Amino acid sequence: MKDVVNKIVDKYPASVFKNRKQHIVLVDHDTEEPQTITANTRTIPGIITSRGCCYAGCKGVVIGPIKDAITITHGPIGCAYYSWLTRRNKAKLEGNETDNFLQYCFSTDLQEGDIVFGGEKKLKQAITEVVETFHPKNIMICSTCPVGLIGDDINAVATWAEAQYGITVIPFSCEGYKGVTQSAGHHIANNQIIKKIVGTGNREVGKYSINILGEYNIGGDSWEIERVLKKIGYDVVSVMTGNGSVENMSNAHKANLNLVQCYRSINYIADMINTKYGADWLKVNFIGLQSCVDSLRDLAKYFDDPALVARTEAVIAEELAEVQPIIEKYRPVCEGKTAAMYVGGSRALHYQYMFNDLGMDTVLAGFEFAHRDDYEGSDVIPFIKEDADSKNIESLHLEPDEQKYRLFIPREKFEKLRQEIPLNYFGGMIKFMNNGSVVVDDINHYEIDEFIKILKPDIFCAGIKEKYQIHKMGVFSKQLHSYDYSGPYAGFKGAANFARDIAMGLTAPVWNMIQPPWKTEPMLEGYYIKEVV
Amino acid sequence: MNAQKDRVRNVNENPCNMCMPLGAIVPFKGIENAMVIIHGSQGCATYMRRHMAEHFNEPIDVASSSITEKGTIYGGEANLRQGLDNLIRLYNPRVVGILSTCLAETIGEDIVGTASVYQQEKGHSPVPRLVPVPTPGYGGSHAEGYFKALVSIVATLCRKTRKHDGINVIVPHISPADVREIRRILELMKVNYTLLPDIADTLDSPYTKVYKKIPAGGTPLEAIEAMADARATIQFGETMDDDLSPGNYLESKYGVPLHNLPLPIGIEACDRFLALLQTLTLNPVPEVLQKERGRLLDAMVDSHKYNREGHAAVFGEPETVYAISRLLVENGIAPAILATGSAKGHLPYLLQQLTAECDEKALIMMDSDFADIRRHCAGKGINLAIGSSDGRLLTEREGIPLVRLGFPIHDRIGGQRILSLGYTGTIMLLDQITNTLLAAKYSHYRQDLYQRFYPDRPSSMEQ
Repeated sequence: MKDVVNKIVDKYPASVFKNRKQHIVLVDHDTEEPQTITANTRTIPGIITSRGCCYAGCKGVVIGPIKDAITITHGPIGCAYYSWLTRRNKAKLEGNETDNFLQYCFSTDLQEGDIVFGGEKKLKQAITEVVETFHPKNIMICSTCPVGLIGDDINAVATWAEAQYGITVIPFSCEGYKGVTQSAGHHIANNQIIKKIVGTGNREVGKYSINILGEYNIGGDSWEIERVLKKIGYDVVSVMTGNGSVENMSNAHKANLNLVQCYRSINYIADMINTKYGADWLKVNFIGLQSCVDSLRDLAKYFDDPALVARTEAVIAEELAEVQPIIEKYRPVCEGKTAAMYVGGSRALHYQYMFNDLGMDTVLAGFEFAHRDDYEGSDVIPFIKEDADSKNIESLHLEPDEQKYRLFIPREKFEKLRQEIPLNYFGGMIKFMNNGSVVVDDINHYEIDEFIKILKPDIFCAGIKEKYQIHKMGVFSKQLHSYDYSGPYAGFKGAANFARDIAMGLTAPVWNMIQPPWKTEPMLEGYYIKEVV
Repeated sequence: MNAQKDRVRNVNENPCNMCMPLGAIVPFKGIENAMVIIHGSQGCATYMRRHMAEHFNEPIDVASSSITEKGTIYGGEANLRQGLDNLIRLYNPRVVGILSTCLAETIGEDIVGTASVYQQEKGHSPVPRLVPVPTPGYGGSHAEGYFKALVSIVATLCRKTRKHDGINVIVPHISPADVREIRRILELMKVNYTLLPDIADTLDSPYTKVYKKIPAGGTPLEAIEAMADARATIQFGETMDDDLSPGNYLESKYGVPLHNLPLPIGIEACDRFLALLQTLTLNPVPEVLQKERGRLLDAMVDSHKYNREGHAAVFGEPETVYAISRLLVENGIAPAILATGSAKGHLPYLLQQLTAECDEKALIMMDSDFADIRRHCAGKGINLAIGSSDGRLLTEREGIPLVRLGFPIHDRIGGQRILSLGYTGTIMLLDQITNTLLAAKYSHYRQDLYQRFYPDRPSSMEQ
């Protein structure tokens, strides 16, 4: 297999060969030292990467799903258009909520003259118009490449607008060129959420209060997760940011524990809340039946209340009774098949649990914009060298809040509990994978081709940019960004949906029709030799 | 005058257009063995690939020079050169389009200069032909980007050698199925032609046993080079300004006579196209096409009463909006709202000419967005929307049914296969339009009648 990897990267020019080799790991748990990988470094130009930009991470991923804020993209029209409902985040009004702007897309639509003379005035006017038409309580301003370059001061505009209209206006300097991937945008969004939103609310919360971080409600995922958590008796204070609202997030500091689903995009908030307000975070995974069960049990353990533990077990039993038969129905179709995955920053790990439930092995997995800790686990963080690109993204240095800081469980108990559940800790992807499987960071079109030829996976899960290429190679592909308009896939009911969709995809009649009959029928080959009499 | 920019607003709410580089990608996808690299932040290439893949249901490979913050300070030329090295090594293309972005243009990158130096320096090894196209996102909509790329393609690649009797056919941003229909008509008319850009197979490629990274098909480089010596150019691009008209370029630079036509949608536009082909080739219109024309006429007669009740809102790229408007007018459907996100070109003038005689005054909206379109739809009795899938909000919020056409189609499958050109394509489109009107009618006409005759009874018949 090592030779195979070499053969794939052999085609590259020397410098690229050296670079790409470091992004590919053949999993081997028997090495003396833990395996390392290179990640979160600059993309090689011209290589057809799937990575996006800082703006995509900030506006597209973290800020986009917030329903009670109007997001104005300050820049030329394209960026706003391309991030308009692109991620299938769902949101609906609940309780007394009045604002849901998710269907809308707002841009200052900068023109050449604005680039020359500056766009601040236009931004101010756009804010005024939006306020007059929609009366939003919150406005987010997201910068695009040219805005940073021409030096528009969106911070000053935000301050002006807050004073002028008495609403919350939050600027995000998430110009596309910052950092090396979307990841920079996650960090910028996280910083502003902590600075401007979390800690401003004061609702009374329940005993088992939690936030769900890094859950974006694609196809209704967070609704299914919340359903189960609420059934057990948890008070879900906020979800960041699927079906999320500024209103709910303002109370996030009141929750006793943060659940982290997508570690990559939201770990900064989990850490910053921990530093400033004291709440711990627990790495969970609500993708896959067994992992749902494990996550719920870990969660109950943290709150350590016999009634809650009992209730958790009751709900688990009830949910399993409903979905287990469905999974069992589809499992025979899936069993023994192999999967490959290339998704953002955590799904390529989370869905391995789901495939395990279905009796499938993951032979290749890779992230688009992950850092080394997503692959190697939290332990590696102190050893990650900062480079120029990561230094350019501000890291907030917070102190404990004098009034609001509190520890839910004593530290001795915390240390003990840490041995049992992933508290303030993420193990990373490599540990979970089997020997001989392949981990590829920032895989590109060429490498996908080559790996499919070699590994021949039965299914390759990725995004829409990869999907059609994979289909053209005769391999079933499931989009794990948008779920091909299906879902939810999270939680118990989501697992059943996923099992059904995978079985449907694998058994679609079309895969048997690729070969036309005139090509499959054995052709007799031979020479006719005229008999000479 | 109603063709002015409708709003004095500064915010664009629910945009009706995309940016220049996206449009500029498409023509390169219609050149044989071509690739595109976008000079800028990698998000541009990624977002555009994503949006095009979802529309065409095909892999869309577009490279990026992946400029980072360092590049914004020290310049991005090194990234572009490295990007070209890698792209050429991995894909071995014959033509590479180099598109710039907001980022590249704002920091003053000279892609034309870089391309020419690169081409010279690497002259000893086989280097593909490089076609730089400056396409800042703030320079216009994707419709202008499309034509700007075409102008750059002919300006960079065409060269005069020996006159030939071929005819250039330049098409705007239409579906691969539409391109195939144009090719079929040209072949039926026995025309010796070069069609640019030919996305018929590249952006709707058949399933084959062996997957090719650059799909087969597209206009061959040699054919493009020879466009300078063609006998005539037929261009479906009446709405574009002269500087964005490749046909104009070929005419003024090489003296190739230009015949600028509206897209052949509707009987009149199809007739004009075929009459021109007949004049140019002296070949008769074959019986198969005459029968198709007859069927279209028959269809128009069949559906005229229903169509006459239509009040339509049309939106999209200028060339498409113009062609659809013509179709509406010749079928008695009121072209009530005609909108595009583009701000440039001859569209307002053409539409005013077209709708001057209409019973209802058409509202012509340039530089428009869906907030504008929706606002004007309200209370106007609009019962039909025609355009991209972004118009779905008109259905969801205003109950106006949408006939999906143009780019992008994101919430339905098969955007690449929508056929609306030629007599046959027109029949398919017209039937769809009529049936959309009929579906709406059937959904409530019993109820309407009941209420009209029994206004005092309970509001539903089912009680």
